[in-house]
Amino acid sequence: MKKVLAVMMLSMLWSAATFAAGTEYRMRVDGLACPYCAYGIEKKLKAIEGVGKIDVDLNAGLVVVDVAEGVALTEPQMKTLFQDAGFTYRSMTEKSLDGGAKNE
Amino acid sequence: MGEIVLKALGWITAVLLGLVLIVWLVWIPSAREPGYAFVAAWGGPGNAPGQFHDPTGVAVTDSEVFVSDARNARIQVFDLDGHFKRWFGTKGDGPGQLGRPMNLSIAGDELYVADYWNDRIQVFGLDGTPHRNIGKTGKGPGEFNAPSGVAVAGNGDLYIADFYGQRIQQLHADGSFVRQWGHTGKVGILAGEFNYPIDVALTDDRTLYVADGYNDRVQVFSPDGKFLRKWGGPFAMNIFGPFNGWFATVTGITIDRSGNVFVADFYNNRVQKFSPDGTFLSTFGSKGTGPGQFEKAIAVAVARNGTVFVADFANNRIQKWKPKP
Repeated sequence: MKKVLAVMMLSMLWSAATFAAGTEYRMRVDGLACPYCAYGIEKKLKAIEGVGKIDVDLNAGLVVVDVAEGVALTEPQMKTLFQDAGFTYRSMTEKSLDGGAKNE
Repeated sequence: MGEIVLKALGWITAVLLGLVLIVWLVWIPSAREPGYAFVAAWGGPGNAPGQFHDPTGVAVTDSEVFVSDARNARIQVFDLDGHFKRWFGTKGDGPGQLGRPMNLSIAGDELYVADYWNDRIQVFGLDGTPHRNIGKTGKGPGEFNAPSGVAVAGNGDLYIADFYGQRIQQLHADGSFVRQWGHTGKVGILAGEFNYPIDVALTDDRTLYVADGYNDRVQVFSPDGKFLRKWGGPFAMNIFGPFNGWFATVTGITIDRSGNVFVADFYNNRVQKFSPDGTFLSTFGSKGTGPGQFEKAIAVAVARNGTVFVADFANNRIQKWKPKP
């Protein structure tokens, strides 16, 4: 039991450390409306390796995604993803999850 | 000169008023029955028993109400007065696990769940025991790209709204493909085409009603698959609005014992009721957080006695309504 707990703790610490050094992307999109759309985008983003937390703000047309260190989301990739989900990609900003701005 | 301008303005005003009158008379019907009265609401945001994090589907038996609790990845079950009874399902893609459960359907003693993220219809016993899965991810026959609603015929055939597939599929009970309506992956606004179809309902004779989500309309198909009619705003061609008989994103549809059609009118924060031929009968609900108000009415179910249950999405609750005498 202790071993299981230790492994879980180490796993959580590793996970937290990985994402703390990762990147937060904030993307503006047009067309976000009902939860079906929001879930559709979440589903597509979830399929990308290294993607962690995803927040979709229906009213603001804002999608915030945290990715692990070493993972990068590109504009062409996001344009295609949002188009497939039925929306129009507008812009993206990114900042380091350890606090530093990368591209505001 | 001034007189001519005034006359012209007068004519333009008269023509515009005439057009408004025509639109009003032709496309904005009046209620034909007393409507519905609010009875009760239950729920609230959270993940405790009886609380919801995005209720997205509702179905009812003679004694229980089943609710898709989407972000909690579970189905919750209540008695008809809203007392919590049990829940089942966890996050995941294994048997009995759910990834965003959406519209629900009950046939016999089984619950059919549109398992949106897992691209399958998952079938449970009413006690929550997982029975089987139908479908998988894909664009081919019998495959799904985010299934959002399901109806079941008397012979066990399934009719499934395939949201990103832009089609309705009919499958046999074993998942084998029968036919489809709509062009796979292609949005359309003409009859028989779809713009993110979200839910389906069937009559006993297999007349198919489709909640054609972003076309803001209902489409109806005969038992042999032919297009019969559509309604929702002028020409039922993706023109949305707040008037009687118009919609602003159709997210749920169900049929009562008399064949009347109930539609969850998402952005209009209401439920509308129609006769089987699409004649507007009544509406209930308005925007808000108080009793009888909705923050996005997303799904609707009708009990055999006519009581209506509505999933009130952003208020994270279920509402119960009864017909006015």
